[in-house]
Amino acid sequence: MEVPTAAELLNDGTARQVIDAAWIDSRSDDPHLRHEEGGWIYMDIVTGAITALRATRGNRAEIDLHLPPEIAGSLVVGKFHTHPNPTADGWEPGPSGSDLAVDDMHGVPDLIRADDGIHLSGPPQRRGGLSGNAGYP
Amino acid sequence: MRGILDDRGCYVEEGIGATGMTAATIPTSPQLASDEVLRIARLDAERAYRDLRAYRIEIALEIDGWHVDFELKDPTRNGGGAHYLIDSASGVILRKRYEQ
Repeated sequence: MEVPTAAELLNDGTARQVIDAAWIDSRSDDPHLRHEEGGWIYMDIVTGAITALRATRGNRAEIDLHLPPEIAGSLVVGKFHTHPNPTADGWEPGPSGSDLAVDDMHGVPDLIRADDGIHLSGPPQRRGGLSGNAGYP
Repeated sequence: MRGILDDRGCYVEEGIGATGMTAATIPTSPQLASDEVLRIARLDAERAYRDLRAYRIEIALEIDGWHVDFELKDPTRNGGGAHYLIDSASGVILRKRYEQ
C-alpha cells in the first residue's frame, strides 16, 4: 500500500470535506473573528481509508499543528490549515516562510486553504512512506 | 556610488573621483531612530494582526532602508508575521508583506 500524494489528498472527498468545513469555521468574511483552523489527515494502514481530525482553533495568522493525536492503526499522511485573511487587503495567501520550514520538518503534505484556492507546502507525500512514527514520520 | 554604515549607524555614500580614488564620504539625510521605526511598523502590524504577542521583532538598517520583521516566537507553529521595508529618512513604509 502506498501513502497518498498531496494531489491525491486534494481529490479525496473526506479530505476536501474537512478542509471546506475548516474554511467556513475560519470566518474569513468577518474582519474581527477570522482565524486559522486546521488539523490532520490519516490513512488506515489496512484498509487505506482516509479520516481526519481537527486541531484546536488557531489565531489571526497562526495555528499549532505540531502534535497530531494518534489513531490506532492509522498514520498521519497530511495536514491542513486555513489562511483566512484576504489577499485584497494585502495578505499573502500561500505558505509563509515558517509554514515552509515547519511543514518540511513535519514531513507530510500541508494543504493550505486560502481565498484564492488551496496551496501546497511540505513534501509531495509522507516522507518515508509507511515507515516511521504513527504521527509525523 | 556605494555606501557604508558608519559607527553611528548612519549611511554614508562614498564618491569615486576621476582618478578612481575615493574622493570623499558624504553624509546623507538624517536617519530615523530604531525606536521610531519600530513604532511605525508596530502600529501597522497591530492593525492587521491585532495581537502581536506571538511574535518577536527583528530590525536592521540596510542600504535600502530599515527592515523590520515580525517572526513567530514558537518555531513549531504554522503561521507568519508582517515584514516591512521602511525609508530610513522619511519613515514611509516602502514595502510590506503580511504572511499568515
